[in-house]
Amino acid sequence: MRATIAAAEPILELKFGQVGIANLRLNLNDPAALRDEIEQKVAAAPQLFARAPVILDLSRLPQLPDAAEAQALLDAIRAGGMLPVGLSYSTTENELLAKELGVPLLAKFRAVYEKQNADEAVASIAPAPAPSRPKAVPKAEAEPARAPAATVSGQRHDKAVRSGQQVYARGRDLIVNAMVGNGAEVIADGSIHIYGRLSGRALAGAQGDASARIYCMDFQAELISIAGRYRVFEDLPKELRGKPVQAWLDGEKLLIEALVP
Amino acid sequence: MTENIVVTSGKGGVGKTTTSASIAVGLAKRGKKVAVIDFDVGLRNLDLIMGCERRVVYDFVNVIHNECTLKQALIKDKRYETLYVLAASQTRDKDALTQDGVQRVLEELAADGFDFVVCDSPAGIEKGAFLAMYFADRAIVVVNPEVSSVRDSDRILGLLSSKTRRAEAGNSKVQEHLLLTRYNPSRVATGDMMSISDVEEILGIKVVGVIPESEGVLAASNSGVPVILDEASSAGQAYDDAVARLLGDERALRFTEAPKKGFFSRVFGG
Repeated sequence: MRATIAAAEPILELKFGQVGIANLRLNLNDPAALRDEIEQKVAAAPQLFARAPVILDLSRLPQLPDAAEAQALLDAIRAGGMLPVGLSYSTTENELLAKELGVPLLAKFRAVYEKQNADEAVASIAPAPAPSRPKAVPKAEAEPARAPAATVSGQRHDKAVRSGQQVYARGRDLIVNAMVGNGAEVIADGSIHIYGRLSGRALAGAQGDASARIYCMDFQAELISIAGRYRVFEDLPKELRGKPVQAWLDGEKLLIEALVP
Repeated sequence: MTENIVVTSGKGGVGKTTTSASIAVGLAKRGKKVAVIDFDVGLRNLDLIMGCERRVVYDFVNVIHNECTLKQALIKDKRYETLYVLAASQTRDKDALTQDGVQRVLEELAADGFDFVVCDSPAGIEKGAFLAMYFADRAIVVVNPEVSSVRDSDRILGLLSSKTRRAEAGNSKVQEHLLLTRYNPSRVATGDMMSISDVEEILGIKVVGVIPESEGVLAASNSGVPVILDEASSAGQAYDDAVARLLGDERALRFTEAPKKGFFSRVFGG
């Protein structure tokens, strides 16, 4: 009887909409200091900040806190007068953390790049993701969190990437039809294909996609990284130098091999 | 007690980075614990001169922005184990440096027991150069024997006595040293080039060293070996003298006289 009524008239409606929400990026894992700072902010602008919903972003911390520590941070935010509703910055570890805490993970906040004008082909964007977060890497068994949709084609770059320049392909592959010089950096959330010399740095899977690969025609790289695992080449292996190569992740290991035609 | 030494000049291309590398190596060679920092964000070169460019993972800007620890960013020299390099970032601009950040790094190095921190300043008098000199205890002003370099150095000496922490505190001053580089005694003899005394007179301070123009410098730079390690070259020896003088030794100037012409060159010209 009851069941039929429920079926006829659901007791809830789900609607999706967009709401603005603040991203609280933490530079230091210190609940007491966090609480003080939030209290100050709330006191300074109560209308704006009192009971304001915030998403906690842990991407700046050198190490991801464990569940107890993260809970202490959430409590500190609450004690300071704001309302934490979830975590941002999507890595697999962070996802587990959010599950443990029973809060949602808002993957849309791309902590490292979002605020930058990253759509620019050559933009001065924030830290090289690999060096800054070498630990933020999904385990092998995890599903790639943000595999680019099949319809998204790669971002093409036809000019040489010179020393000091960065090219970032957000959420997709990067194709470079020119050389990447020493001291230059090419970054993609997907794979990187370079039809020229790679003398600089290439960082694929910048948001943690462990299935991303790096291909180049003439390998002389300073550093390559996939999903945060990186290798520095002080001396280039003789069998790889100047060769067309591909690089991929095998579990935790970053492998490189000459491409055989 | 850690001493911060800035190597600066105002003008570009006079040999600041070559000097920073050689001074740092010279100090480390004498057993001092030394860090040499590249302040030229966006145009980093020190790592090339020091021969560690392929070992840079993290840089000075990463440390300042708390993206890694100082320990992770310090590159240990392969020749001297008390020598460390902190590379500049190539992909940022000079605004990535902050005064607080620089201060924090210098304090951390001091806490780590470094004897000397050599700050390789960028050319110009903008933010990077300002931050490189701000915390200095000593300054090595690199000057070439030509008028534009001398004038720029004069400007830098003025800034050292007004825009540094020591100057602002008012009770001490930055110890200034003048290092004359690319000196060519033969051209001084013919009157093409300013002499040591000309430069000393205009700037009002004595030189701590005179580095002769030498082929060794270019070769050393290109091979990633600071020229002070080329003991056969006159420039290498002159840098070694300069380091000794910085540490309080007295050494006579060398390589400052034009070589006497031998019989054959007098007869046949040369």
